[in-house]
Order: sequence, then C-alpha cells, then structure tokens
Amino acid sequence: MSNRNDGTGSSKPQMTRRDTLKLGLGTSVALGLFGLNARIVVAQEGQVLKVAHPAFNQDWSPLRGGGPPYRWNSAWWAAPMYFDSKGELHPYVFTSWEPAADNKTWTFKIDPKAVFSDGSKITAEDVKGSWNVSAMPNTKNQRADQVLSKVAGYADVSAGKAKEISGIAAPDEGTVVVTLADADPIFFMRLANHIAPITKASQSRGEDGEEVADWYMPDSGAVSSGPFKLTSIDLDAGKLVFEPNENFFGPKPKLARIEIDSIEDNVTATSLLKSGEYNAHTELVTSTIVQDLGTSFAEGPLIPTSQHFWFNASRAPMDDPKVRQALIMAVDREGLMKASFPDGPHKKTDQVLNSVPGADNSGFEPYPYDPEGAKKLLAESSYGGPERLPKLLFVGISGPAIEAAAQFIAEQWRQNLGITAVDMKPQQDAYAGPDQNAVQIFRDDVGTRVPDAVSYLAGSIASTSSNAQNKLGGYKNDKVDSLLAEAATKAVDDPQRVALAQEAQKAFREDWTFIPWYAQAMSRWATDKVIGIDKNLDWQVVAPWDISVA
Amino acid sequence: MLRYIATRFVVWIPSVLLVMLGVYALAYYGAGDPIKLIFLRAPGDVAYNPERIEAIRESAGLNRPFLVQFGSYIWNLLHGNFGNSLSSGRSVWAMVSAAAPVSFKLALCSVILTAVVAIPLGLIAALNQNTRTDYAILGSALFLWAIPAYVAGPMLMVLLILVLPGSAVPYGWGGIFDVRILLPLFVLSFQPIALIVRQTRAAVIEVLSEDFVRTARAKGVPETMVALRHILRPVLTPVVTQLGLIMITIVNGAIFVELVFGLPGLGRLTVKALTNTDYPVILAVTLIGSFLVMISNLLVDVLYPLLDPRANDIRRSR
Repeated sequence: MSNRNDGTGSSKPQMTRRDTLKLGLGTSVALGLFGLNARIVVAQEGQVLKVAHPAFNQDWSPLRGGGPPYRWNSAWWAAPMYFDSKGELHPYVFTSWEPAADNKTWTFKIDPKAVFSDGSKITAEDVKGSWNVSAMPNTKNQRADQVLSKVAGYADVSAGKAKEISGIAAPDEGTVVVTLADADPIFFMRLANHIAPITKASQSRGEDGEEVADWYMPDSGAVSSGPFKLTSIDLDAGKLVFEPNENFFGPKPKLARIEIDSIEDNVTATSLLKSGEYNAHTELVTSTIVQDLGTSFAEGPLIPTSQHFWFNASRAPMDDPKVRQALIMAVDREGLMKASFPDGPHKKTDQVLNSVPGADNSGFEPYPYDPEGAKKLLAESSYGGPERLPKLLFVGISGPAIEAAAQFIAEQWRQNLGITAVDMKPQQDAYAGPDQNAVQIFRDDVGTRVPDAVSYLAGSIASTSSNAQNKLGGYKNDKVDSLLAEAATKAVDDPQRVALAQEAQKAFREDWTFIPWYAQAMSRWATDKVIGIDKNLDWQVVAPWDISVA
Repeated sequence: MLRYIATRFVVWIPSVLLVMLGVYALAYYGAGDPIKLIFLRAPGDVAYNPERIEAIRESAGLNRPFLVQFGSYIWNLLHGNFGNSLSSGRSVWAMVSAAAPVSFKLALCSVILTAVVAIPLGLIAALNQNTRTDYAILGSALFLWAIPAYVAGPMLMVLLILVLPGSAVPYGWGGIFDVRILLPLFVLSFQPIALIVRQTRAAVIEVLSEDFVRTARAKGVPETMVALRHILRPVLTPVVTQLGLIMITIVNGAIFVELVFGLPGLGRLTVKALTNTDYPVILAVTLIGSFLVMISNLLVDVLYPLLDPRANDIRRSR
C-alpha cells in the first residue's frame, strides 16, 4: 500500500481524487466549448440556394395566390406565361393566345412539350380543373379575381353557387378556350403570373370540386411543373427542400437544391445572411437593409406596386376635405422617404401609378409640402384647429421601415399642425372597443400583376376595388369610375387607354385621400454570390432555372 | 393518492370548460373575423369579395350562433377531433402535438438547469451571508434578473454569428441533446435562476435561526449534513412550488426565445393563432396550457409530502 504523502511506494505519479475531478471538469468544459464552436458541416454536392424565410407558414399550397410561400411558386410551377423583369411577356405553358374579334373569346394553345414532373402531359383539362379549384371559395385564393373575374361563370363559383366555371372549355388536349362575360383586350396578360397555377387537376381537385388537403406534399406523390420539385417539407420545423425536376420542359436548372428555412426574427436573419450561412431571403423589409447587407442585396426593378397611407373619408375627421388636405400638405414626403428608406431600394412617388406605360408622363401634379397652408386649412375646417380633432389612428404599421414612416408623419403633424393625439397599431384588431371601427388611416400597398395603367387603378381607386371599399371607406368618384370603365375597353396599344387612366388618376387627386409614399422595387433579396435571381412584377424569380451560386 | 389525483382531474374539467368558454367569447366578440383577415391582412391587390367571404364563413360554420359554435367544438373535442386551423386548413391536433413537446422539453430542461444551478448558489450565498461570495452570487443574480429574454436572445445571437463566426448557429430545434439547445436554454433560464437564487437564499437565512438547526449543530452533526439534511429540506417546499410555476410560464409563453431561436413551440403557435383569430388553434392551446397547469400543480402536490411529511398529515386530516 502506498502513501501519497510520504513519497514511498510506486514511483508512478498518482492522480488524486481532486485531480480526477479537475480533469473531468476541464474535459467537460473543453468538450462544451468544442461543441459550441463546431460548425455542423454537411457535405453538399452542387450549388445550394439557402433561403431564410420570414414565417413558419403552415400552408404551402400553390393555390393560395398570396402570402410568403407564393414568392417561391415559380421555382416549382410553370405559369401559363410570364413577364420578365423589364415587363416583357414570354410564353411558357401556353405558346400562343388569340382573341376573337370582340375580345370576349380567347384561344390558348398548350406547349406540346409541357409536362409535369412525372412526365405526364399538361393538358387542357388540367388547366380547366386548376382554374376551377382556384375559384372555389374554400381554396381561399387571395387573388384569383385578378386572373379569372372576367371569365363567364366565375362569379357563381367564387360565391359557392357552382363548381365549374362555364366560360372555360377544353375542346382538345392542347387547347383552352375562354369566354369572358365582358370584352377584355388585356385578358391574356392577366394569365401571366402564378396566382392560379396549372396543377395536375386529378391531384389537386377532389370529386366534390374542392381542393384536396395536402395534395402538394411529397408524401402524397404530388407532381409539379416548374424547374424544381418539392422533395421534403417539415411544416413544424419550417424547412423545405426543392430539387431539380428532371422532366422539366424548359432549360435545365443550374442549382442542385433550394433549401428554405423559416427564420422569423429579422435581426437573426440579417446576421445569418451577413455570416454567409444563408444566401437569400424570401422578403426582408427593414429600414437598414442597404446598410446591413449592401445595395446589391436589396436592388431590383421597380414593379407596378406602390405603398401609401390611405384616408378613410367616411370617418371623422377625414370626412372634412380641408382636414385631409391639411394633413397631406403638412408632410414633407422627401423627409418621409429619408426616414423610412434612406438608401433605397424603393423610390419616392407622388402618384398612384408607377412602372406601367404612361406612369412617367401622367401630368399628375404632386401634392405640395406647405406647412403654413396646411395650418390655415386646418383652422378653416369644421374642426377649427388641432384641439377638437378626434385621435388619429393608423393601422398597418407593422415592421421597422413602416413604423419609421408613420412616426415621421405623426411628428410632422405635431410640429406643423400641433396635432398630438395620434396612435398606431399593426392591425385594426389591435384597437379595443369603439376605436376598432374608428381607424382613419390605413397603410397598405396597391398594384397590379399586369403592366397596365387601367388594371392598376381599377384595383386601387375604382369604387369596386377592395382598396376603395375597405381602406378608403367606400370611396366613389363617378368621374374616376366612368373614365376607367371607358379605358378598359380600349386596346393595349391604343393611346387612349393610358390617357383615360391618367385622367382618372387626376380626378382622384382632387379628393385628397392619400399620402403618397413610395414605388416599390422588387428586391433580389440575395447576396452577391447569387446570380440570376432577378424578379418580376408577379413577385417571382423570373427564370429560376438560371439561378446559380458563385 | 390515486383518489386525490382523480378528484383533482374531475375538478379541473368544469374549470377548463369555463376558461375555454371565456377565451372563445373573447376571440368571437373581441377580435376580427378570421376569414376576412385572410384577405384583408395581405397586401393591397388582394381581391376582397364579400360574397366569397360569406361562402367560406358558411362552409366553416362561422355563421352559426356563438353558443352553437362552441357546443359543436366541445362535441367534436369529446370525439377526439380538434378541428382544422381556419387560416391554414391544417389539423389542429397535428400542429399542437408537434409544438407541445418542444415547449415541454425546453421548459423541463430549463427547470432542471435552474434547480441544479440556483439552489446550490442560493444555499452557498446564505451560508456565507454578507461576505464577498454572497455579494457576488446575489449581484450576478440581480444582473441576470435585469436582462429580459428579448434583449439577451438577439444580442447573444449576433455575438455568436457575427463576432464568433466559428460557432454553430444556435437556430432551430434538434431536440434536447442538440448543441443548438444550449443558448436558448441559458437565455430562458436567466431570470428563473435569479429568482430561485434569491428565494433559496432568503429561505435558508430564515431556517438558519431555527431551533432544530441549532440542535443539530450542538449534536456535532457535520456542517455539510446540517446544510443538506436539516436546512435544505424545509427550504425546498416553496422552491419547488416556484419551479412548478416557472415550468408553466415557460411552456406557455417562451415567445421571444422561440421567435429568436426558431423553436417551433407553443408560445409561437399561440401568438400566430391570436393574430389570425384562429379559434380552433386558440382553444386547443388554451386546453393544453390549462392541462399543463393542472399536471404541474399535481406534480408539485405529489412532491410536497416527500419534502415535508407534515403535508401528508394535513392531506390525511382533510
């Protein structure tokens, strides 16, 4: 038996219990640090687009016509036609389109080479079935009206009174004939997007005419038609993987894989993009995006969409035109842009129309910035000044850049008009009690998926538009409506079409019901290393097969 | 014991029904229309078609009177049907059963970490009252207490991703044995640790002056044994109660940590459901939350007699 204190016994150094404990602790700490610092690296073959996605979407059906998942529709679905980033139309599933003389009947030819990812042909019945299921109310497609509302019989299906749109016919496998309720010279352009995508109707539509639950999931054996196919999806973890569709009828995709991970927090997403962990984002909207990730990350073409602050003219104090005028004239809109997007990528706008033919030459007189004039108008209004004004309530104030803009407006009103009672919330529901129905200012965008001035204004200032009915409080100007109705009958290349739309916009200006903010750029939302990810007015990557990672 | 558990369960059922009725009423009367929100919350070129919205409402049974809707929900629930989410159409059971284990595991790990770290620290601080050790422990606890999770989370995240770029990105959920769990776990445990340290310290100081402690020392019981057997045991009863409450709070509301670290737990699911006025999901998370409260309280009740035999006598005498 050796004694550790007397130096006798074995000459081998002995490890005491305390030493053992120290060693164990040291090993644990070292292993812990190693674990923290060990980047998990998975060998990946080929180029991978790693996308940070801003929401844990529980529904990736391509038939929703909106939401963050919509922005990746072009990766896995082929549209009838598509617009490039310059607004030029290209054939895709449809190779040709011909109107009848009255512009009420349109004939579309399907590319004979167009196939789904299982190699089966895309047929006219697939087109018909897909449009029918997109129109069904329970599909909850947010924008099907933009594509199909003029088709005969659509209204009945949309309202749940029928299951088949009577105006769509499939005379043979490769031909689709569409009959419209009213003449529409630009109907073909309305199809050039992913709002009502062409799916394999036998998969997406059940016998009852409704959308089949989870039909698009890989587990269901779903097929797609775009350059990529969905190979794995975990809704709870927010992870999706797309791989090339070997049967794609267009150019061969350059990427080996697209991986989409849900990262809701903007700070985290920005950090991950900066670190190179991810190389693209679905939609990153922050006021410091250019400073954080560089000009090239956020740049992109201006699309026919614009953001504004809309006044509900049916609610006090917006029911007084002088108050509206004062509130608009008290805001320095150059400063508004500097406060929200100081380095772009969006551009300040003075009017509703942008990035459509005629938008640059509309003769629209911008609202002036005139604090003194604004103060005088407020004093002349039925409220007599800022003291008797009810509280001004904003909604749609969600996100850093929007918050900065709304705060700037409120500060301008305080400085220039003496208005201090202003409140803002992300959505209307956030207001309690009677305030919920007293909101007067809505921040929202308006726009179109068609480079056409009439469509743009029909969806934003015509009395039938959702914007006029909901955000502008039932806005109706007969002159605006009649000018737009007349313009809609003119051919695409008829100068009168644009001229009448411009007149309608000028008539709208005189009602003083919005604070113009910015014309939207369709950002790349990708790092310098990503090439070929240009987007279009449909918020889609124009040519997903061309995306590559340097 | 079994009878006690059964009684608690029977008492829980009417309570949870009342809670669910209240929550459903608040969502039904207080918030917006879930179907309208699908169309109104999206950007401006969405087609807002009242006829279409009415058709969807009818199909989802939302045009029925309030009590009929609630009764129908409870009836379906009794048949094991949680319904489908109004906003995504997904099965609510699938959503909740995926989120609940994440929150539960996270909370359990956090409670264990809190207990393992905070109770000894509280004990050491109390045994060294008004010394440098005490000040250091108490000061650190107060420092942790002052940092909210929504500050600590993003700051540590930025530090690890951008300042220490070699680190594994602590984002996403890979289970409790995944290295990515460490950071969210620490952030989640900051405030509970501070709370338990202070509570343990205060309780130990109180117990130190008790007669039975003096007697034990007078009998020559070693100081370690006095601390562990005579002092710590009575202190643990209120601490365990507090740990139970912490567990409930974390399971139901680790919202910021779940958001920042991308953890698909119940907190985030609840926020999404409330934002979308998604009744079936709101009711399901309420039910699960209420069930967890009951289970957690039950566990604490079961643990009491083990820590303090007097609790058993009180229960028997009732």
